[in-house]
Amino acid sequence: MILLQSHSRYLLQILTNRLQNIEKGVELDCHWVEFDDVRYHIQASIKSPNLLHLSVSLPTPPPETDFSSGLPLGAIEAIKAAYAGVVHILDPPRDGFNLTVKLNLAKLPPLEGLELILVVDLTVRIQYSIHGFTSFDFILFWNHPISAFASMIFQLSWIIPEYRESLACLAESTELNKFLGSQLFPTHPNLTFFWKLLSSSDNMTLSLLDGAEIRHALVVKIASVREVVMGAPLRVILKRVASRSVPSNAGVLVPLVHRPNESFFLVPQVEKATVVFPMRFNDSVDTVLATSFLQEFVEARRTAGLNNAPTCLWSASPPDELKDAPEQALHANAGFVSFVIYPRHVEGKKLDKTVWSLSTFHAYVNYHVKCSEGFMHTRMRRRVESLIQALDRAKPDEHANISKSYKRLSIEESRGNSHS
Amino acid sequence: MDPSTSRPAVVIDNGTGYTKMGFAGNVEPCFIAPTVVAVNESFITQPNRSSNKGSSSWMAQHNAGVMADLDFFIGEEAVSKSRTSSTYNLTYPIKHGQVDNWDAMERFWQQCIFNYLRCDPEDHYFLLTESPLTPPESREYTGEIMFETFNVPGLYIAVQPVLALAAGYTTSKCEMTGVVVDVGDGATHVVPVAEGYVIGSSIKSIPISGKDVTLFIQQLMRERGEHVPPEDSFEVARKVKETYCYTCADIVKEYNKHDKEPSKYIKQWRGIKPKTGAPYACDVGYERFLGPEIFFNPEIYNKEFTTPLPAVIDKCIQSAPIDTRRALYKNIVLSGGSTMFKDFQRRLQRDTKKIVDARSHPVEVNVVSHPIQRYAVWFGGSVLASTPEFFTACHTKAEYEEYGASICRTNPVFKGMY
Repeated sequence: MILLQSHSRYLLQILTNRLQNIEKGVELDCHWVEFDDVRYHIQASIKSPNLLHLSVSLPTPPPETDFSSGLPLGAIEAIKAAYAGVVHILDPPRDGFNLTVKLNLAKLPPLEGLELILVVDLTVRIQYSIHGFTSFDFILFWNHPISAFASMIFQLSWIIPEYRESLACLAESTELNKFLGSQLFPTHPNLTFFWKLLSSSDNMTLSLLDGAEIRHALVVKIASVREVVMGAPLRVILKRVASRSVPSNAGVLVPLVHRPNESFFLVPQVEKATVVFPMRFNDSVDTVLATSFLQEFVEARRTAGLNNAPTCLWSASPPDELKDAPEQALHANAGFVSFVIYPRHVEGKKLDKTVWSLSTFHAYVNYHVKCSEGFMHTRMRRRVESLIQALDRAKPDEHANISKSYKRLSIEESRGNSHS
Repeated sequence: MDPSTSRPAVVIDNGTGYTKMGFAGNVEPCFIAPTVVAVNESFITQPNRSSNKGSSSWMAQHNAGVMADLDFFIGEEAVSKSRTSSTYNLTYPIKHGQVDNWDAMERFWQQCIFNYLRCDPEDHYFLLTESPLTPPESREYTGEIMFETFNVPGLYIAVQPVLALAAGYTTSKCEMTGVVVDVGDGATHVVPVAEGYVIGSSIKSIPISGKDVTLFIQQLMRERGEHVPPEDSFEVARKVKETYCYTCADIVKEYNKHDKEPSKYIKQWRGIKPKTGAPYACDVGYERFLGPEIFFNPEIYNKEFTTPLPAVIDKCIQSAPIDTRRALYKNIVLSGGSTMFKDFQRRLQRDTKKIVDARSHPVEVNVVSHPIQRYAVWFGGSVLASTPEFFTACHTKAEYEEYGASICRTNPVFKGMY
């Protein structure tokens, strides 16, 4: 494993187990903690096996970070957009947590009734037509033409709830209504819009997916709730970068929380954004390893294969971007790392990945520091073994003693000899 | 106060067959994964050579892939990787309940922590388990890895049978005296515990464990000529053991039952050949009850060791201090995956009672089984680690830095033994 996965493995396991044994409906009450002090709690009762209460607590924000009602900026909108329908936000959240949501598993897309599915990669095409449109493959559900349209629309709203409005406006200007035969679906703009896409798009692939796979994709998305909530403010800013619009707050430092009482900083500029991480470690060995790791990391960026990767800089002292930062944010024992993100890094599908990688950068470095310590131990153990082997070889052979020309006598023997 | 004491401790119970891991305070471990590591061998052999040749092969290694030392998998992923590709070799870090390969063990823990539990080891106290016969050196090694590699703030290495008793502590009654019959995949121990302290001199181990049941089933199926692909036969035997095996009351009667109504007792196993992908089927017959029978009649499997498990339990209790024996007979606790066979508890109770009654003492014999038997040790750890006293009993990072790995040598439950 090189990169950390965006979904919580345990949450995913709980959800899939639950879906498989929904009729058993066992009681469930667990809590666990992930890196950077993100705590989870999930609860379900026997009475309503479809309902799960999931609570998430986030790291304590440092004073400079903007947290409205316990959640990062834009988190609520992000949750609503990502899981509309399945997830209902409860207010106030459970005691000691920042967010509590009610998951309704009964509202997940059905497993049956989907035969042929068209996956259309429209990201490039749509980029210019819908302002701010970024990620997602479109997943179209193409069953028998007439009977399944209702379910298709239902599914569509599942996959891309975020863009429902935009789709509706775009579809108004269609000439496809005649093509489709308006007597069939005169009123549903979404549908005609998709028909247009189908007939005009050149980058679409036809593949068979069943309901289970789509359902799985959504469950994985739910398991990545941490990415959605904590990455929300970062996502908003990077999306603006992707759409190449001039940010209203260009050049203003935005602190974003990523660890308890620690934040990283983001400076939105025209057509780019600079992200600065003050790196702190508790252990002295870790600090040294992390410092050299980061220096190597910057060095590795220069290799030929990584020309398109974000520019990456490391410095021991705070960079210029942090001149407005509060005093306590400027102390970092492993230096400061900054990345410059250009629109090409956050286009389309890349946005999710970039957001996740940036918001867990510290955890990533920490993981690799621990791995390299483990690797060094392996090498040290091997070295000790080889030294022991060398020592063993140097030992005089036990049997060699017998062939000696003299025999060492013990005290008893020598006494016996003298008496005789 | 240390902020890590406010977070739940991580409890990892490394067994020979399966590792149970999770957070203290939960009733179930988060993950139960096979204790196995699939390593990309092509890389592992390189460092040996590099120590001789110096920098040139370091460069070769560097070019081969900087991240190659991370190219390994654990658990189910490891098993499936090794089946589909030939570059990965399976390593079992624990053999017979003892850590055998520390490199693999360290990697296994690394993945447990970072990939499965996804926690920061610096944030949590850790509770690990060990078998009652673990030498102090291996405990030191564990401590070294945990404190040096993972920087854990605190570590407690608990003895498995004590945890298994502690698991029963909350479910029924406050009893910390009992005999723990721990039948795992790689080792079987019978451990008497009095008031939470292990009676070290009376520990009995027998060379028959869950793995032997699997091997015996494999042998039986092979001898009968079932068409199982050889490379798959061990896995099939393990699955058969886990799904169909049960303990019978009497072998002869059971044979008769099977012969009278084969349709009711003979099960079918269906699989897919790993190489060709062709489906195959085989019958599962007498091995359903003969597998677990090796604990009660070991002579059918092993010529050297012929003492049945109930006799070992009796011997173990008889060698314990006389004032504890009555309490020990009263609380014989089962733990470990291989005690999960249906009616195992009833058979063990009956056979032990028979031995005790033959001595003409009216002594109460009670074999206790509980529903969480499979991960009783883990659950006991979870209970123990959620008490506030746990954090004071741990070895802390500060202590480690002050005194070194020797702090892990002694275990408080073996007082006066070392």
